[in-house]
Amino acid sequence: MCLSVLLVPLSHGPIRALPHRPSTAILHPQAFTPRDSALHVLNRLAYGPRPGEPDRVAAMGVMRWIDRQLDPAHVDDAALGAREPQFKVLTYDRHALADVYFGALRERRERNLAEPRAADTMGMRDDPGPNARLGRRLARDVADLVVVRAALSERQLAEVMADFWANHFNVFFGKGADRFLLPEYIERTIRPYALGRFADLLRATAQSPAMLVYLDNWQSVAPSAKAQRAGGRRPRDINENYARELLELHTLGVDGGYTQQDVVNVARIFTGWSIERPRQGGAFKFYDRAHDRGEKIVMGVTYPAGHGMDEGLHLLAWLADNPATARHVSHQLCRRFVNDQPPDGCVDDAVAAWQRTHGDIREVLRAIFHGPDFWAPENVQAKVKSPLEFVVSALRAVQADPDTTPRLAQVVARLGQPLYLHVAPDGYPESQDDWVNSGALLNRMNAGVALAVGKLPGAIVNLDLTIPATSSREQLIAAVDEQILGGAMTENTRRVIREQLRDLDDPVQARALAVGLALGGPEFQRQ
Amino acid sequence: MAISRRVFVKSGGLALVSFGLDPLFLARAAFAADTPGHPSTRPILVCLFQRGAVDGLNMVVPYGDRLYYKERPRIAVAQRDVVDLDGYFGLHPRLAPLKTLWDNKSLAVIHAAGSPDSTRSHFDAQDYMESGTPGRKATADGWLNRYCQHDREHLSTPFQAVAFGPRLPRILAGSAPSLAIDDLQTFGVRAPGAARDRLTEAFEQLYGGAATGLLATSSHEAFEAVQLLNRANPGQYQPADGATYPRGRLGAAMRQIAQLIKADVGLQVAFADVTGWDTHVNQGASEGQLATRLADLGQALAAFTTDVGERMRDVVVLTMSEFGRTIRENGSLGTDHGHATAMLVLGGPVNGGKVLGRWPGLDPADRFEGRDVAVTTDFRDLFGEILTRHMLATDLSPIFPGFTPDPARFPGAITA
Repeated sequence: MCLSVLLVPLSHGPIRALPHRPSTAILHPQAFTPRDSALHVLNRLAYGPRPGEPDRVAAMGVMRWIDRQLDPAHVDDAALGAREPQFKVLTYDRHALADVYFGALRERRERNLAEPRAADTMGMRDDPGPNARLGRRLARDVADLVVVRAALSERQLAEVMADFWANHFNVFFGKGADRFLLPEYIERTIRPYALGRFADLLRATAQSPAMLVYLDNWQSVAPSAKAQRAGGRRPRDINENYARELLELHTLGVDGGYTQQDVVNVARIFTGWSIERPRQGGAFKFYDRAHDRGEKIVMGVTYPAGHGMDEGLHLLAWLADNPATARHVSHQLCRRFVNDQPPDGCVDDAVAAWQRTHGDIREVLRAIFHGPDFWAPENVQAKVKSPLEFVVSALRAVQADPDTTPRLAQVVARLGQPLYLHVAPDGYPESQDDWVNSGALLNRMNAGVALAVGKLPGAIVNLDLTIPATSSREQLIAAVDEQILGGAMTENTRRVIREQLRDLDDPVQARALAVGLALGGPEFQRQ
Repeated sequence: MAISRRVFVKSGGLALVSFGLDPLFLARAAFAADTPGHPSTRPILVCLFQRGAVDGLNMVVPYGDRLYYKERPRIAVAQRDVVDLDGYFGLHPRLAPLKTLWDNKSLAVIHAAGSPDSTRSHFDAQDYMESGTPGRKATADGWLNRYCQHDREHLSTPFQAVAFGPRLPRILAGSAPSLAIDDLQTFGVRAPGAARDRLTEAFEQLYGGAATGLLATSSHEAFEAVQLLNRANPGQYQPADGATYPRGRLGAAMRQIAQLIKADVGLQVAFADVTGWDTHVNQGASEGQLATRLADLGQALAAFTTDVGERMRDVVVLTMSEFGRTIRENGSLGTDHGHATAMLVLGGPVNGGKVLGRWPGLDPADRFEGRDVAVTTDFRDLFGEILTRHMLATDLSPIFPGFTPDPARFPGAITA
């Protein structure tokens, strides 16, 4: 075992008397082993360990594993590569998806006019036309892709970051044209920029048709006579929606020091940032005639009159470089990776890296993972998994395979996180306060048990891959601890499982019970 | 309550466990003596969200206004079909089951109610009505949850706030504990027969011994809720007095809310929603698409009040919808997104037998943006009145941030 690996988590000082921790802590006061480090890193940078993985990562060297995850292009991903062709939606571009969408709308209109007892327009539920059927299948593919990628990819950190940014730059899949704009948003805007420069990601989202539709900027026009459209409809005007969320959620944060007047002026800057006609595919297009060419002042910076699209680009670059943005986004990254209440030191380290590298996300993350807070015992096992994290980590823990149906995404939805269907722009929450409630826990217990007996919809399970059925209860419990809980099983859990196994003679049933209790129990909810 | 281990083994244990397929058998408590819970006299609020923007004008018809018929030549409800309320307004005929409630003064209508925000986006408008902050999207929690947060008097029970459906709706999102229940019958750890109790006990011990913080308190609540439900529910529920709920999601939700109220598990706020109101095409008039939905609604509400019976003296049911629909019918025999709509309040504490709020009329000069019914009652004034006068909230400002509540603007839905 490489000594340098042993040293890293301890390199911030000698082993000292650790502060009192609740009994759930997996760490023994006398040793923070490489295996413990590996488990921690797999829980945070990945969607949980697969059986035997903590040892493999420890053997490779935890910091080396982290470095590799920060450079996903050089991580081979053959297993996922073999599965991706099953997802038809990946072969549809924006135009093709638009065709399906408008085809479905046309079918429904024709059906409604033909039948007096037609279903309501919002639901699209009873609509069996071929385009509608295809559209629904493609939509389910999009959600299911998230689960399959998260479960199977070797580029785990990249998948975690794709999830992080999809929430940070939330788009609601159900809003109008977003129904055919979102897939490209994920494939071309979020995923490629997830570990690059924040400025590039920000600009890509600002110009993405999906975001322009979701936050209504596509119909934001300067209220000058030239920009008004005549006839019938009410006059179009500036729409502040995108401007407000850009400042509040995407960059500076609610305390970032901007005023309502700044929001208005940012909105003016982005007038004209729109899309081509949706039926033509809805690509990004800047409409000069809709743009407000007057002078604007945003947070003390003057944008002289007479400019077009370039002032939006300047503003985006300025926002990306702004210390408040660095702090706001760093805060969220520390919340995701370290603790629901991110420690100041962690945020400071991240901000310093941001400023040093002009917002290179990879380097900001590296600073977080090298900082003492990431490894501090009080931050280990200190977070609770989101529904997506719980389902994917459970699949990985028993080496279950997602089948070719979209039912696993539906399981995640039933646990409270329907993917890409968060309506408000703040995205799915990060903290356990939002995920943990009594109903949710009962659902997770049931899901854990269901997976263990092979009845979780969408999952193909063969426990023989992970834990041999054995008549020795102690061996079974040890295997569950080792393979599924990464060695984190508490004495209480051990005692309860042992008690429950007492009169179960059938080894297969015993194994299912032990695994189900482990997956549904409290240790497995933590990360 | 000791369940024999041999029973567990005999029944085949976990081999029969399935995810959501086996109905949960709710057993009587082993200690057979009935614990007659003293029926609580705490006020209860049931919110019912009609998602999709219900057409208030065909729901509570202003048949006294000639313009109604002029603007809707093909989809107006004929005067001879309406169930007259006050000589000017009448109920859609399929809401006839609610007429007795009107007559005994436990049903009021608030017409021209809605949001000060002019969005006609379903998602945004629903978001605003659930968050209680129209115009502001970044509000993290819902107004009903904020009420629970600030309700100092509440009993500490896992059933304080319950939403029926697969997920917790926006309106109940927030730090106050609330339960999303898809189906009372399947709430709990799922396994057949005695295996259920064994598994429940096992998980209870796992969480009881090892969880800390929120995992501990939530799991404790979960098991408490399961136990409460087991104790209070004797299996097949029979609605009282022959109340007949319509089949479907709405009927099921209202029946289960009634069940929970009568089970005395400490329910204070309940929520259910029903879709299908977005009638852009082929809306119908006395018959048709909307009529079918209204029949479902009317039957569900009537059955609920019959079933809950005397306890209705403590219950207020409030319907709401994100906005209304255009006054004029469109080219597809339907209506498009509008502004103000009609909301109903039912229950003992209601100041019933009236159409409340200021009716602006359908005259073009009085319309919103020249096409819709204008809003004369901000939904926060209606909800605020119910929270203050019925649910005994003492301070509305944290519940509706950015809004200055004023009793002078209350529409008068609750008897003082």
